[in-house]
Amino acid sequence: MEVWDVLGKRTEADEWTVVGGVKAPNDPHMAILLARESFFRHKEGVAFAVRRRGTDEVFVDDEPAEVLGGLTDRSYRRQEAYAGVGGRLRRVSKVLADRGVRIDRPRPPDQRIRAADP
Amino acid sequence: MTYEERVAEFKAHIDDGGKVDAGDWMPDEYRQLALKFIEMHANSEVMGALPEGTWIPKAPSLKRKLSLTSKVQDEVGHGQILYRVAEDLGKSREAMFDDLVNGRTKFHNVFHYPAETWGDVAYIGWLIDGAAIVNQRALLDSSYLPYVRAMRRVCAEESLHLRHGLEMVIELCSGTEAQRELFQDAVNRWWEPTMHFFGPASKQKDMLLYWGIKTRSNESLREEFLTTYVPKLWDLGISIPDPKLAWNDSAGSWDWSEPNWDTFWKVVGGNGPMTTVRLAQRKTVWDTHAWIREAFAGIPAAA
Repeated sequence: MEVWDVLGKRTEADEWTVVGGVKAPNDPHMAILLARESFFRHKEGVAFAVRRRGTDEVFVDDEPAEVLGGLTDRSYRRQEAYAGVGGRLRRVSKVLADRGVRIDRPRPPDQRIRAADP
Repeated sequence: MTYEERVAEFKAHIDDGGKVDAGDWMPDEYRQLALKFIEMHANSEVMGALPEGTWIPKAPSLKRKLSLTSKVQDEVGHGQILYRVAEDLGKSREAMFDDLVNGRTKFHNVFHYPAETWGDVAYIGWLIDGAAIVNQRALLDSSYLPYVRAMRRVCAEESLHLRHGLEMVIELCSGTEAQRELFQDAVNRWWEPTMHFFGPASKQKDMLLYWGIKTRSNESLREEFLTTYVPKLWDLGISIPDPKLAWNDSAGSWDWSEPNWDTFWKVVGGNGPMTTVRLAQRKTVWDTHAWIREAFAGIPAAA
Protein backbone atom coordinates (compact mmCIF):
# COMPACT_ATOMS: atom_id res chain seq x y z
CA MET A 1 0.00 0.00 0.00
CA GLU A 2 1.21 3.49 -0.87
CA VAL A 3 0.55 6.97 0.43
CA TRP A 4 -1.27 9.27 -2.00
CA ASP A 5 -1.79 13.01 -1.48
CA VAL A 6 -5.33 14.11 -2.28
CA LEU A 7 -5.77 17.44 -4.10
CA GLY A 8 -8.96 19.37 -4.63
CA LYS A 9 -10.38 22.49 -6.30
CA ARG A 10 -13.36 24.24 -4.76
CA THR A 11 -14.03 26.26 -7.93
CA GLU A 12 -12.74 26.09 -11.49
CA ALA A 13 -10.63 29.20 -10.85
CA ASP A 14 -8.76 27.61 -7.91
CA GLU A 15 -5.32 26.02 -8.01
CA TRP A 16 -4.94 22.45 -6.81
CA THR A 17 -4.70 22.38 -2.99
CA VAL A 18 -3.65 19.43 -0.83
CA VAL A 19 -6.67 18.51 1.29
CA GLY A 20 -5.34 15.31 2.86
CA GLY A 21 -4.15 11.83 1.99
CA VAL A 22 -5.19 8.22 1.55
CA LYS A 23 -3.36 4.92 1.61
CA ALA A 24 -4.16 2.82 -1.41
CA PRO A 25 -2.70 0.07 -3.60
CA ASN A 26 -0.22 1.03 -6.29
CA ASP A 27 -3.03 1.95 -8.68
CA PRO A 28 -4.24 5.53 -9.29
CA HIS A 29 -7.81 4.34 -9.95
CA MET A 30 -8.01 2.75 -6.52
CA ALA A 31 -6.51 5.87 -4.94
CA ILE A 32 -9.06 8.06 -6.76
CA LEU A 33 -11.91 5.85 -5.57
CA LEU A 34 -10.78 6.04 -1.94
CA ALA A 35 -10.12 9.79 -2.17
CA ARG A 36 -13.62 10.39 -3.57
CA GLU A 37 -15.24 8.43 -0.72
CA SER A 38 -13.08 10.08 1.94
CA PHE A 39 -13.08 13.71 0.83
CA PHE A 40 -15.74 14.45 -1.78
CA ARG A 41 -19.07 13.04 -0.59
CA HIS A 42 -20.68 16.42 0.10
CA LYS A 43 -20.03 18.30 -3.16
CA GLU A 44 -16.94 19.95 -1.66
CA GLY A 45 -15.56 21.09 -4.98
CA VAL A 46 -15.51 20.79 -8.76
CA ALA A 47 -12.50 18.51 -9.24
CA PHE A 48 -10.11 16.31 -7.35
CA ALA A 49 -6.94 14.38 -8.03
CA VAL A 50 -4.36 12.13 -6.40
CA ARG A 51 -0.57 12.21 -6.48
CA ARG A 52 1.69 9.41 -5.30
CA ARG A 53 3.68 10.92 -2.41
CA GLY A 54 7.15 11.97 -3.47
CA THR A 55 6.27 12.22 -7.19
CA ASP A 56 4.92 15.03 -9.37
CA GLU A 57 2.47 13.14 -11.59
CA VAL A 58 -1.12 14.13 -10.84
CA PHE A 59 -4.01 11.78 -11.68
CA VAL A 60 -7.24 13.72 -12.09
CA ASP A 61 -10.63 12.09 -11.60
CA ASP A 62 -12.47 12.26 -14.93
CA GLU A 63 -15.98 12.64 -13.50
CA PRO A 64 -17.59 15.89 -14.67
CA ALA A 65 -17.99 18.48 -11.91
CA GLU A 66 -21.78 18.24 -11.86
CA VAL A 67 -21.58 14.49 -11.21
CA LEU A 68 -18.98 14.72 -8.44
CA GLY A 69 -20.71 13.98 -5.16
CA GLY A 70 -23.48 12.10 -6.97
CA LEU A 71 -26.66 12.93 -8.90
CA THR A 72 -29.05 11.23 -6.49
CA ASP A 73 -30.74 13.72 -4.15
CA ARG A 74 -28.55 13.52 -1.09
CA SER A 75 -29.24 17.04 0.16
CA TYR A 76 -29.41 15.62 3.70
CA ARG A 77 -25.63 15.41 3.43
CA ARG A 78 -25.30 19.15 2.92
CA GLN A 79 -25.80 22.37 4.87
CA GLU A 80 -28.66 23.64 2.70
CA ALA A 81 -30.91 20.82 3.91
CA TYR A 82 -30.82 22.44 7.34
CA ALA A 83 -31.13 26.09 6.25
CA GLY A 84 -33.21 28.13 8.68
CA VAL A 85 -32.66 25.87 11.67
CA GLY A 86 -31.21 28.78 13.70
CA GLY A 87 -34.29 30.92 12.97
CA ARG A 88 -36.53 28.03 13.94
CA LEU A 89 -34.70 27.72 17.26
CA ARG A 90 -35.39 31.40 17.98
CA ARG A 91 -39.08 31.08 17.03
CA VAL A 92 -39.57 27.96 19.15
CA SER A 93 -37.71 29.61 22.05
CA LYS A 94 -40.05 32.61 21.82
CA VAL A 95 -43.15 30.38 21.87
CA LEU A 96 -41.79 28.47 24.87
CA ALA A 97 -40.95 31.77 26.64
CA ASP A 98 -44.55 32.93 26.09
CA ARG A 99 -45.73 29.65 27.61
CA GLY A 100 -43.56 30.33 30.66
CA VAL A 101 -41.31 27.34 29.99
CA ARG A 102 -38.08 29.33 29.52
CA ILE A 103 -35.59 28.99 32.37
CA ASP A 104 -34.26 32.29 33.70
CA ARG A 105 -30.79 31.89 35.13
CA PRO A 106 -27.84 34.29 35.00
CA ARG A 107 -26.32 34.14 31.51
CA PRO A 108 -23.54 35.95 29.61
CA PRO A 109 -24.37 39.49 28.37
CA ASP A 110 -24.46 38.67 24.64
CA GLN A 111 -26.82 35.79 25.33
CA ARG A 112 -29.15 38.14 27.22
CA ILE A 113 -29.50 40.29 24.11
CA ARG A 114 -30.21 37.25 21.96
CA ALA A 115 -32.75 35.92 24.44
CA ALA A 116 -34.58 39.27 24.42
CA ASP A 117 -35.11 39.12 20.63
CA PRO A 118 -38.78 39.25 19.66
CA MET B 1 24.04 21.74 15.01
CA THR B 2 23.35 19.71 18.18
CA TYR B 3 20.00 18.03 18.85
CA GLU B 4 19.26 20.63 21.57
CA GLU B 5 19.95 23.48 19.15
CA ARG B 6 17.64 21.96 16.55
CA VAL B 7 14.93 21.59 19.21
CA ALA B 8 15.36 25.24 20.23
CA GLU B 9 15.11 26.33 16.59
CA PHE B 10 12.00 24.18 16.12
CA LYS B 11 10.39 25.65 19.25
CA ALA B 12 11.12 29.19 18.07
CA HIS B 13 9.50 28.32 14.72
CA ILE B 14 6.35 27.09 16.51
CA ASP B 15 6.23 30.11 18.83
CA ASP B 16 6.46 32.32 15.76
CA GLY B 17 3.29 30.72 14.37
CA GLY B 18 5.18 28.39 12.03
CA LYS B 19 3.71 25.06 10.91
CA VAL B 20 5.18 21.58 10.68
CA ASP B 21 4.42 19.27 7.75
CA ALA B 22 4.60 15.49 7.62
CA GLY B 23 8.10 15.18 6.17
CA ASP B 24 9.67 17.94 8.28
CA TRP B 25 12.17 17.33 11.05
CA MET B 26 10.58 17.40 14.52
CA PRO B 27 11.75 16.61 18.06
CA ASP B 28 10.95 13.10 19.29
CA GLU B 29 8.78 14.51 22.04
CA TYR B 30 6.69 16.50 19.53
CA ARG B 31 6.26 13.45 17.31
CA GLN B 32 5.19 11.21 20.19
CA LEU B 33 2.75 13.74 21.67
CA ALA B 34 1.17 14.52 18.29
CA LEU B 35 0.86 10.82 17.49
CA LYS B 36 -0.78 9.94 20.80
CA PHE B 37 -3.19 12.88 20.57
CA ILE B 38 -4.22 12.28 16.94
CA GLU B 39 -4.45 8.51 17.43
CA MET B 40 -6.82 9.06 20.35
CA HIS B 41 -8.86 11.46 18.20
CA ALA B 42 -9.05 8.87 15.39
CA ASN B 43 -10.04 6.13 17.87
CA SER B 44 -12.82 8.38 19.18
CA GLU B 45 -14.22 8.97 15.71
CA VAL B 46 -14.58 5.27 14.88
CA MET B 47 -15.87 4.40 18.36
CA GLY B 48 -18.19 7.43 18.28
CA ALA B 49 -19.98 6.00 15.26
CA LEU B 50 -21.28 3.06 17.31
CA PRO B 51 -23.78 4.67 19.76
CA GLU B 52 -25.60 6.45 16.92
CA GLY B 53 -25.16 3.53 14.53
CA THR B 54 -27.34 1.35 16.74
CA TRP B 55 -30.24 3.77 16.09
CA ILE B 56 -30.15 3.64 12.28
CA PRO B 57 -32.59 0.68 12.09
CA LYS B 58 -34.86 2.32 14.68
CA ALA B 59 -34.89 5.88 13.27
CA PRO B 60 -38.43 7.34 13.35
CA SER B 61 -38.58 8.33 9.65
CA LEU B 62 -36.81 7.71 6.35
CA LYS B 63 -35.43 11.27 6.42
CA ARG B 64 -33.88 10.70 9.84
CA LYS B 65 -32.57 7.29 8.80
CA LEU B 66 -30.81 8.76 5.74
CA SER B 67 -29.29 11.68 7.62
CA LEU B 68 -28.17 9.50 10.54
CA THR B 69 -26.61 6.94 8.20
CA SER B 70 -24.76 9.73 6.42
CA LYS B 71 -23.54 11.16 9.74
CA VAL B 72 -22.27 7.78 10.91
CA GLN B 73 -20.43 7.37 7.59
CA ASP B 74 -18.88 10.81 8.11
CA GLU B 75 -17.65 9.90 11.61
CA VAL B 76 -15.97 6.72 10.39
CA GLY B 77 -14.53 8.74 7.51
CA HIS B 78 -13.01 11.17 10.02
CA GLY B 79 -11.37 8.18 11.67
CA GLN B 80 -9.89 7.09 8.32
CA ILE B 81 -8.56 10.58 7.61
CA LEU B 82 -7.05 10.93 11.09
CA TYR B 83 -5.42 7.48 11.10
CA ARG B 84 -3.74 8.49 7.83
CA VAL B 85 -2.43 11.68 9.49
CA ALA B 86 -1.23 9.70 12.52
CA GLU B 87 0.49 7.06 10.35
CA ASP B 88 2.93 9.66 9.05
CA LEU B 89 4.09 10.15 12.63
CA GLY B 90 5.43 6.62 12.75
CA LYS B 91 2.77 4.07 13.73
CA SER B 92 0.91 1.92 11.22
CA ARG B 93 -2.87 1.95 10.97
CA GLU B 94 -2.87 -1.79 11.70
CA ALA B 95 -0.94 -1.25 14.94
CA MET B 96 -3.25 1.60 15.99
CA PHE B 97 -6.41 -0.41 15.33
CA ASP B 98 -4.94 -3.47 17.02
CA ASP B 99 -4.12 -1.38 20.11
CA LEU B 100 -7.62 0.12 20.11
CA VAL B 101 -9.62 -3.11 19.84
CA ASN B 102 -7.44 -4.79 22.46
CA GLY B 103 -7.96 -1.95 24.94
CA ARG B 104 -4.37 -0.69 24.92
CA THR B 105 -5.21 2.86 23.77
CA LYS B 106 -7.96 5.26 24.76
CA PHE B 107 -10.97 6.91 23.17
CA HIS B 108 -13.18 9.78 24.37
CA ASN B 109 -15.19 9.17 27.53
CA VAL B 110 -18.58 9.97 25.98
CA PHE B 111 -18.40 6.99 23.62
CA HIS B 112 -18.25 4.55 26.52
CA TYR B 113 -21.93 5.28 27.34
CA PRO B 114 -25.12 3.73 25.96
CA ALA B 115 -27.47 5.61 23.62
CA GLU B 116 -30.68 4.49 25.30
CA THR B 117 -33.35 6.51 23.50
CA TRP B 118 -33.96 8.68 20.43
CA GLY B 119 -33.53 11.61 22.84
CA ASP B 120 -29.92 10.46 23.28
CA VAL B 121 -29.44 10.56 19.50
CA ALA B 122 -30.65 14.17 19.46
CA TYR B 123 -28.39 15.01 22.41
CA ILE B 124 -25.34 13.43 20.79
CA GLY B 125 -26.06 15.11 17.45
CA TRP B 126 -26.35 18.59 18.91
CA LEU B 127 -24.38 18.68 22.15
CA ILE B 128 -21.70 16.00 21.85
CA ASP B 129 -20.99 17.21 18.32
CA GLY B 130 -21.24 20.75 19.68
CA ALA B 131 -18.62 19.97 22.32
CA ALA B 132 -16.46 18.27 19.68
CA ILE B 133 -16.67 21.22 17.31
CA VAL B 134 -15.57 23.63 20.06
CA ASN B 135 -12.47 21.44 20.49
CA GLN B 136 -11.90 20.90 16.79
CA ARG B 137 -12.24 24.53 15.74
CA ALA B 138 -9.46 25.33 18.20
CA LEU B 139 -7.31 22.72 16.43
CA LEU B 140 -7.53 24.65 13.15
CA ASP B 141 -4.62 26.66 14.59
CA SER B 142 -2.57 23.59 15.51
CA SER B 143 1.13 23.65 14.65
CA TYR B 144 0.91 20.28 12.86
CA LEU B 145 -0.25 21.12 9.32
CA PRO B 146 -1.61 17.68 8.24
CA TYR B 147 -3.83 17.78 11.35
CA VAL B 148 -5.04 21.27 10.39
CA ARG B 149 -5.96 20.01 6.90
CA ALA B 150 -7.89 17.13 8.46
CA MET B 151 -9.66 19.52 10.85
CA ARG B 152 -10.77 21.76 7.96
CA ARG B 153 -12.53 18.75 6.51
CA VAL B 154 -13.86 17.47 9.84
CA CYS B 155 -15.15 20.87 11.05
CA ALA B 156 -17.11 21.40 7.82
CA GLU B 157 -18.87 18.07 8.35
CA GLU B 158 -19.34 18.57 12.08
CA SER B 159 -21.13 21.87 11.50
CA LEU B 160 -23.55 19.96 9.27
CA HIS B 161 -24.01 17.36 12.03
CA LEU B 162 -24.67 20.14 14.51
CA ARG B 163 -27.55 21.48 12.43
CA HIS B 164 -28.88 17.96 11.99
CA GLY B 165 -28.76 17.49 15.78
CA LEU B 166 -30.31 20.88 16.53
CA GLU B 167 -33.18 20.13 14.17
CA MET B 168 -33.94 16.93 16.10
CA VAL B 169 -33.75 18.77 19.43
CA ILE B 170 -36.14 21.49 18.24
CA GLU B 171 -38.53 18.81 17.04
CA LEU B 172 -38.54 17.09 20.43
CA CYS B 173 -38.68 20.30 22.50
CA SER B 174 -41.55 21.79 20.50
CA GLY B 175 -43.46 18.50 20.45
CA THR B 176 -45.56 16.68 23.02
CA GLU B 177 -44.79 16.59 26.72
CA ALA B 178 -43.51 13.02 26.29
CA GLN B 179 -41.09 14.17 23.57
CA ARG B 180 -39.81 16.99 25.78
CA GLU B 181 -39.33 14.53 28.62
CA LEU B 182 -37.42 12.20 26.32
CA PHE B 183 -34.89 14.97 25.62
CA GLN B 184 -34.81 16.21 29.23
CA ASP B 185 -34.04 12.66 30.36
CA ALA B 186 -31.15 12.50 27.87
CA VAL B 187 -29.76 15.82 29.19
CA ASN B 188 -30.00 14.53 32.76
CA ARG B 189 -27.93 11.42 31.92
CA TRP B 190 -25.45 13.01 29.50
CA TRP B 191 -24.57 16.23 31.32
CA GLU B 192 -21.86 14.82 33.56
CA PRO B 193 -20.13 12.89 30.72
CA THR B 194 -20.28 16.13 28.68
CA MET B 195 -18.50 18.07 31.45
CA HIS B 196 -15.97 15.23 31.62
CA PHE B 197 -15.47 15.50 27.84
CA PHE B 198 -13.37 18.67 28.17
CA GLY B 199 -11.13 16.98 30.72
CA PRO B 200 -9.92 18.15 34.11
CA ALA B 201 -8.20 21.51 34.49
CA SER B 202 -5.14 21.70 32.22
CA LYS B 203 -1.80 21.17 33.93
CA GLN B 204 0.33 24.23 34.55
CA LYS B 205 2.66 23.06 31.79
CA ASP B 206 0.54 21.18 29.29
CA MET B 207 3.06 19.89 26.74
CA LEU B 208 0.42 19.76 23.99
CA LEU B 209 -0.05 23.51 24.48
CA TYR B 210 3.71 24.04 24.77
CA TRP B 211 4.27 22.56 21.32
CA GLY B 212 1.21 24.22 19.80
CA ILE B 213 -0.40 20.88 18.93
CA LYS B 214 -3.34 22.08 21.03
CA THR B 215 -3.91 25.81 21.20
CA ARG B 216 -6.39 26.32 24.04
CA SER B 217 -6.78 25.05 27.60
CA ASN B 218 -9.51 22.68 28.69
CA GLU B 219 -11.07 25.45 30.80
CA SER B 220 -11.42 27.94 27.97
CA LEU B 221 -13.00 25.29 25.73
CA ARG B 222 -15.49 24.30 28.43
CA GLU B 223 -16.40 27.98 28.99
CA GLU B 224 -17.04 28.44 25.27
CA PHE B 225 -19.25 25.36 25.22
CA LEU B 226 -21.28 26.58 28.22
CA THR B 227 -21.71 30.06 26.73
CA THR B 228 -22.80 28.68 23.37
CA TYR B 229 -25.23 25.99 24.48
CA VAL B 230 -26.52 26.52 28.03
CA PRO B 231 -28.62 29.64 27.27
CA LYS B 232 -30.14 27.86 24.26
CA LEU B 233 -31.10 24.88 26.44
CA TRP B 234 -32.67 27.21 29.00
CA ASP B 235 -34.57 29.02 26.23
CA LEU B 236 -36.02 25.65 25.27
CA GLY B 237 -37.10 25.12 28.88
CA ILE B 238 -34.60 22.31 29.39
CA SER B 239 -32.99 22.25 32.83
CA ILE B 240 -29.42 21.17 33.46
CA PRO B 241 -28.66 18.85 36.38
CA ASP B 242 -26.24 21.24 38.06
CA PRO B 243 -27.85 23.62 40.58
CA LYS B 244 -24.70 25.73 40.68
CA LEU B 245 -24.60 26.37 36.93
CA ALA B 246 -24.94 30.13 36.27
CA TRP B 247 -23.02 32.93 34.63
CA ASN B 248 -20.95 34.86 37.17
CA ASP B 249 -20.89 38.50 36.06
CA SER B 250 -18.15 39.63 38.43
CA ALA B 251 -15.84 36.72 37.50
CA GLY B 252 -16.76 36.96 33.80
CA SER B 253 -17.05 33.16 33.66
CA TRP B 254 -19.41 30.33 34.51
CA ASP B 255 -19.93 28.85 37.95
CA TRP B 256 -20.42 25.10 37.69
CA SER B 257 -20.08 22.04 39.89
CA GLU B 258 -17.04 19.84 39.43
CA PRO B 259 -18.23 16.49 38.09
CA ASN B 260 -17.03 13.32 39.76
CA TRP B 261 -13.53 12.97 38.27
CA ASP B 262 -13.09 9.45 39.69
CA THR B 263 -15.88 8.38 37.33
CA PHE B 264 -14.07 10.06 34.43
CA TRP B 265 -10.78 8.26 35.11
CA LYS B 266 -12.57 4.96 35.54
CA VAL B 267 -14.40 5.37 32.21
CA VAL B 268 -11.42 6.47 30.12
CA GLY B 269 -9.40 3.73 31.76
CA GLY B 270 -11.63 1.23 29.94
CA ASN B 271 -14.32 0.61 32.57
CA GLY B 272 -17.29 2.52 31.15
CA PRO B 273 -20.78 1.04 30.94
CA MET B 274 -20.38 0.08 27.26
CA THR B 275 -16.60 -0.20 26.86
CA THR B 276 -16.40 -3.98 26.63
CA VAL B 277 -19.38 -4.31 24.28
CA ARG B 278 -18.18 -1.58 21.92
CA LEU B 279 -14.59 -2.86 21.76
CA ALA B 280 -15.90 -6.37 21.09
CA GLN B 281 -18.00 -5.00 18.20
CA ARG B 282 -14.99 -3.31 16.65
CA LYS B 283 -12.72 -6.30 17.25
CA THR B 284 -15.18 -8.68 15.59
CA VAL B 285 -15.33 -6.53 12.47
CA TRP B 286 -11.54 -6.04 12.48
CA ASP B 287 -10.95 -9.79 12.67
CA THR B 288 -13.62 -10.93 10.21
CA HIS B 289 -12.66 -8.30 7.63
CA ALA B 290 -8.96 -9.16 7.61
CA TRP B 291 -9.41 -10.70 4.13
CA ILE B 292 -10.36 -7.28 2.68
CA ARG B 293 -7.12 -5.74 3.93
CA GLU B 294 -5.19 -8.70 2.55
CA ALA B 295 -6.93 -8.38 -0.84
CA PHE B 296 -6.11 -4.67 -1.03
CA ALA B 297 -2.48 -5.27 -0.11
CA GLY B 298 -2.22 -7.85 -2.90
CA ILE B 299 -3.51 -5.65 -5.74
CA PRO B 300 -0.71 -5.41 -8.32
CA ALA B 301 0.43 -2.11 -9.81
CA ALA B 302 -1.69 -0.85 -12.73
CA ALA B 303 -0.14 -1.43 -16.14
